[in-house]
Amino acid sequence: MFRNTREGLALALPAAIFSTLLFLVPVGILLSEAFRGSAGGWSVQGYIDFFSEPLNRTVFLRTLKLGLLVAGTAAVIGYAAAFCIVNLGPKTRGKVFGMVVLPLMISPVARTYAWIVILGRTGIVNEAITGLGLSDTPLRLLFTETAVFLGLLQLFLPLMIISLVSAMENIPRDVIPAARVLGASWIEVFFKVILPLTKEGLVIGGTLVFTGALTAYITPAILGGSKVLMLETLLYQRVNVSNDFVSASVIAMILIVMSFSANLLLKRIATARS
Amino acid sequence: MRHLATWAILGLTLTFLIGPFLIIILAGASDTEYLAFPPQGLTLGWYFKVFTVESFRASFVLSMALAVFGTLAALLLGVPAAYALNRYDLPGAETLRTVVAAPIIVPGIIVGLALLRYMVVPTGVTVTAALFMAHTALVLPYAVRVVSSSMNNLRADMEEAAVLLGCTRLQAFLKVVLPNIRGGVLAAFILGFVTSFNQVPVSLFLSGPGVRTLPIDMLAYMEITFDPSVAALSALLAFMSLAIVFAAERLLGFSRYV
Repeated sequence: MFRNTREGLALALPAAIFSTLLFLVPVGILLSEAFRGSAGGWSVQGYIDFFSEPLNRTVFLRTLKLGLLVAGTAAVIGYAAAFCIVNLGPKTRGKVFGMVVLPLMISPVARTYAWIVILGRTGIVNEAITGLGLSDTPLRLLFTETAVFLGLLQLFLPLMIISLVSAMENIPRDVIPAARVLGASWIEVFFKVILPLTKEGLVIGGTLVFTGALTAYITPAILGGSKVLMLETLLYQRVNVSNDFVSASVIAMILIVMSFSANLLLKRIATARS
Repeated sequence: MRHLATWAILGLTLTFLIGPFLIIILAGASDTEYLAFPPQGLTLGWYFKVFTVESFRASFVLSMALAVFGTLAALLLGVPAAYALNRYDLPGAETLRTVVAAPIIVPGIIVGLALLRYMVVPTGVTVTAALFMAHTALVLPYAVRVVSSSMNNLRADMEEAAVLLGCTRLQAFLKVVLPNIRGGVLAAFILGFVTSFNQVPVSLFLSGPGVRTLPIDMLAYMEITFDPSVAALSALLAFMSLAIVFAAERLLGFSRYV
């Protein structure tokens, strides 16, 4: 540890100044825009107007609902997958884990585009449905909440699996067999042993998936379009179609508040652990 | 029986995660004029066509340049910051850390809009310059975090020894610290490159005539055309990312750092 504080600050400040000027200041001005009253001064009219419009309320609730649904489903699949991965032999475990992580490195546009191929009018699902004679005309599967849900789940599931695998690795090896020998059913083992011991991993994974789903743009844009708007796509529309910067600023504030609170929660857990 | 269940669960999960890429690869090879799966006949035509689309070429070059130079700039800012936060007892270190990490918490779309409204419009900075700065800011948190964690493993007394033996502080950094954190810096570069290259929301509002990053260009293209070329391009990009990550893993055990 060096004592020369001035030297240390000289090294750290360029990054901090850059981040402040390019980030905090412009974003701060943007957020303040919704609080500016039409006659000058401060007001929360922007927020009242925003939430009095039914479409905005629908989009807000839909975003929350999809975020929670994606996080919840990811937790269920994540527990099953992580439990299997942790019990694999060391070599296969590395390979399978690698395959779970891989998709994170690939462009979300590419990852989302695959769902157009799967769910589109001439995609696999529709070919199968018309081929089997279940329906004469192709079904509309794209631009539905289900499509957005599937796209988001595929995008963020790896984050949940990674968090749960590292949480489960810390469960002492004999604990689960011990519970079984003492007569616990698998359901009891899950709720009384695995869940309490992996709570942190679940919260970390859940927050990552939830904030990821809230702030994803590409997936709702490609798979939801203007039929299934989420907060991010609504923000884009408000700016590019209706030039409505007050609404944009309100949406920005909602998104930031939600992702900040999620991050605070994460930090609290991280400090509680250490 | 347990084995069967294990592999059934893992098989389904991996199919859900990886299957779509196999589908994209095949869909890009379809010989139909529209997107179709399963393809009726196979051709590599779309894979070649991608390279002849003028806008894709221009936006690929822009995305590459942003990813390379934005990440380098982030490292130039981030490595000294990581070093200072690790080695000095700074007043307000926690605040500094938060400020530098802020870009990761704020959703990208908001950053892009804020920069457009309050930097590009009032100061007349070009969109390209704004894109460059936005991508640098976006990668900065990763650079600081990854480099910090590899510096944590390096004992400070090695540098102190070098200084006692007559090195200047700069020489000690260049000859002792830098060679030891090389892996971390490279890992930060790769992570930053991939993040920047794949980034959409930040660049969404920061585009102008002839200035579009590749993912934005792909989004625009798929709104007007339904041919398999976007599938082909997606597959090519996926291969590119995989190649980079595999090479990194082979060369320096990338996953240790991320």
